[in-house]
Amino acid sequence: MNKEGTIYTIVFVFIVSFAFVFLLSLTNQATIEQVELNQEIVRQGAILSAMGIAAEGSEEIQEKYGMVATDPDAGLSVATVDGQLVYGTQFAGPGLWGTIEGVLAITADLREIVGIEIVSDNETPGLGGRINEPWFKDQFRGERVAADGIDVTQIAGDGDPDRANSLIDGITGATRTSDSMEAIVNRELQRLQSVEIQQILRSLESQGGDA
Amino acid sequence: MSDVADTRPGAILKNNLWTNNPIFMQILGICSALAVTNLLTNTAIMTLGVTLVTGFSSLTVSLLKKFIPRKVRMIVQTLIIAFYVIIVDLVLKAFLPEISKNLGPYVGLIITNCIIMGRAEAFAQSNGPVVSFWDGITSGLGYMGVLMMMAVFRELLGFGTLFGYQIMPAAFVRWTIMVMPPSAFFLLGLFIWAGKTMMRGEKT
Repeated sequence: MNKEGTIYTIVFVFIVSFAFVFLLSLTNQATIEQVELNQEIVRQGAILSAMGIAAEGSEEIQEKYGMVATDPDAGLSVATVDGQLVYGTQFAGPGLWGTIEGVLAITADLREIVGIEIVSDNETPGLGGRINEPWFKDQFRGERVAADGIDVTQIAGDGDPDRANSLIDGITGATRTSDSMEAIVNRELQRLQSVEIQQILRSLESQGGDA
Repeated sequence: MSDVADTRPGAILKNNLWTNNPIFMQILGICSALAVTNLLTNTAIMTLGVTLVTGFSSLTVSLLKKFIPRKVRMIVQTLIIAFYVIIVDLVLKAFLPEISKNLGPYVGLIITNCIIMGRAEAFAQSNGPVVSFWDGITSGLGYMGVLMMMAVFRELLGFGTLFGYQIMPAAFVRWTIMVMPPSAFFLLGLFIWAGKTMMRGEKT
């Protein structure tokens, strides 16, 4: 058979592609459970971290997460942290390149942000991707929420230490990502005020959740 | 590059690690050299991935070379490389999720690392499987060596740590630029300069 002929080439490419894709599917099947478990632990860890509950390692995360009252469908969680009732809400909103997913935690009176954690994003590494960095996320801890939500604006580029001004220092060179974060957080604050969400939160409160 | 045709294992090792180092001499695989070298742990895992992918891709290309029609040669090579890269990606996701997240899109981008394609095309296409595997592994090690050296400088000066362990005194002022991609350009330039100067010294 002519190795350079069209028929041989087509058959060869088909067989090679089939064989490699088949092997890949097998590997994917073999690892998918572990990958999903890892993602679940990351999600649980993010909820705990946003709520200000310290947990290290997958076992401690799963153990402490068990003490948080959650409604996975609504993406809501409720826990009492250091005697204070804290709501956690999972958000997903448009960033510059793709969806930014994360968790926002806030006190039960919706007046003060407890913390924020990013689960996944596709922002530019080194620019918008810096929303993952502690200096950016730590600015949200204890930040007061104004009547019209929070404001993410470029200030000095190294974080805004004032917790009372509802102002978060944005990321230099990533204005669009900073704006997206502002929009996402404010939309989430709005969502928490809706009657429907408040009802779910009340019922979660009654389930307890003492971390 | 007089000894490219020399296929003795020792000659290949020296060639790929030094005389014909993929980064110093061929200036290949630069994108990942800029991206992942600010932390030693990430660099080590990433370059280990590249080394394994290069080795096994060269092995597979060499085994299949008799059956591959010339006109689809490069497509098949890319397919083989992509296959191994996805395997590395899946393994990292399953067993080292933290590092997988840190490396982000760069694992998938190993596919585009020119070193792998270069070795498959330049060496494995015309040599036996065992020696091709060795050639791939040593090319990966040559790449790993340079990137690890860069990572030592970048992590030490940028974070004051090595493999995450604090080395510099607490009062040490971190060089923020070392964490950012531009510093890799400066370091790489200096490394290539130093490497080439030393090689010239050897020749005379």
